[in-house]
Amino acid sequence: MLTLAFDTATTVATCALVRDGDVLGERTTSAARVLEAAHDLLAESGLASEAISRLVVGTGPGSFTGIRIGLATARALAFVLQTPTAGITTLAALAAGSPGALPVIDARRGEVFTLLAGAPVCVKPGEVVVEKRMVCVGDGAVRYRAVLEADGVVVPPDASGAHVPHARWHAQLAETFGPAEDLQPLYLRVPDVDVPRGKTL
Amino acid sequence: MILGLETSCDETAAALVTDDGHVRSNIVSSQAALHARYGGVVPEIASRRHLELVLPVVKEALQDADAALDDVSRIAVTQGPGLVGALLIGLAAGKAIAWAGRRPLIPVDHLHGHVASLYLEPAPLEPPFCCLLASGGHTLLLDVRTHDGFAVLGTTIDDAAGEAFDKGARLLGLGYPGGAELDRLARQGDPEAYRFPVARTSGLDFSFSGVKTALLYTVRSLHQTELAERKADLAASYERAIVTALVRRLLAATEQVGAERMAVVGGVAANSELRRSLPSARIAPLALCTDNAAMIASAARYREAIPYPGYLALDAYASRDAA
Repeated sequence: MLTLAFDTATTVATCALVRDGDVLGERTTSAARVLEAAHDLLAESGLASEAISRLVVGTGPGSFTGIRIGLATARALAFVLQTPTAGITTLAALAAGSPGALPVIDARRGEVFTLLAGAPVCVKPGEVVVEKRMVCVGDGAVRYRAVLEADGVVVPPDASGAHVPHARWHAQLAETFGPAEDLQPLYLRVPDVDVPRGKTL
Repeated sequence: MILGLETSCDETAAALVTDDGHVRSNIVSSQAALHARYGGVVPEIASRRHLELVLPVVKEALQDADAALDDVSRIAVTQGPGLVGALLIGLAAGKAIAWAGRRPLIPVDHLHGHVASLYLEPAPLEPPFCCLLASGGHTLLLDVRTHDGFAVLGTTIDDAAGEAFDKGARLLGLGYPGGAELDRLARQGDPEAYRFPVARTSGLDFSFSGVKTALLYTVRSLHQTELAERKADLAASYERAIVTALVRRLLAATEQVGAERMAVVGGVAANSELRRSLPSARIAPLALCTDNAAMIASAARYREAIPYPGYLALDAYASRDAA
């Protein structure tokens, strides 16, 4: 069983190739180049796209454009390769990479995506519910380190690999596979309609 | 066959076109109604909808052509110009379809696509010709010498022609996008009733902000009842001013480059006054005037395909300057 997993929701995108639980390879990349990473990983194992038996994609939250690149890619791949697909939230994958830690993703505009009682939410950094000595990971934790540390939270060094999602965890967490079109993006925020194009006369 | 994909603005489109230019299917899912209440395209709403629609339109294009993926030899996708977030969805899907099937990919310029709508069967136009490309996002005069490109002779310095029609329609209370509605209303009005300005821009450039402002002030100067009575006249006169600007410059451009033929493409090519004013010009078929993917697949026939897997790092571009 060969699984291709990827997540393009955050600034650092991730792609992994996993065979029956063994990680054959993993790459960090950017959203626009995620298939390039997938191609290289397959090539290193002497494989090509036809060998993929299932897909796992990160559904966010994160950059809206990034989430859509991931889902559009997954849906198109699933359509051609006829592969079942699973969706894993970017928060769940981050948390899986650092057991016990709370994932905090930069949501821009002074907000972060995190978990509140296990549910994904979009809140101000000061509203993240933490306990003393709790570890927070993710690009949001890095950006709002000062706010979180003031609450007694531990944030690993900026360069730590714990702050970016690793697609091996997406592959490991995936349990339910189905049609890729059933996977929904996790935006957690309504579209900004303040300044539509052509509004000014 | 070529599978074309187009997601540059608020139309999600897929089409199948044969190598010799026959349109086998042309599916366009318009989001106009979704954006109507905002009075313009909201990029984030457009992008969310593109994600929902991009695979369904591909499947429908295949079904409509009674074809399978195996019949597709290469994938053509709009790379720009347009809304980057919207373009990236078509590009991601296009790359994935091409890569998964080990097929070549052809990134297509949206404007070249509009011109290439003229190259489709059953009556393809052969270059050279002088082309007016007028839509909600673009107003360009193009010197077309070969199938694979064009030179820009002039462009708008402010609003696009289609944008001017839509904004005029809104001033007249016709909703959004109201260009087509304005055209319908104009047929019942007197185009000479009001004298709206035709901008005197240098060379072959256009400007439509003046005529729009003139309409705004005229509308404001009229009482409610008077406005209702004169609405058709206002629409007709406004349309006349915009069309006059387009026609004048297309004729000037055609003379300047010594072209023997003229053509009009883009959404504004559907305007009846424009069609009437240019009896000798070749005008794109109505189904190919607004954004569609058949024109993208058509343009791809004249571009070199990027062999598998050399296209995986491709990115979208917002404007031609950034290309």
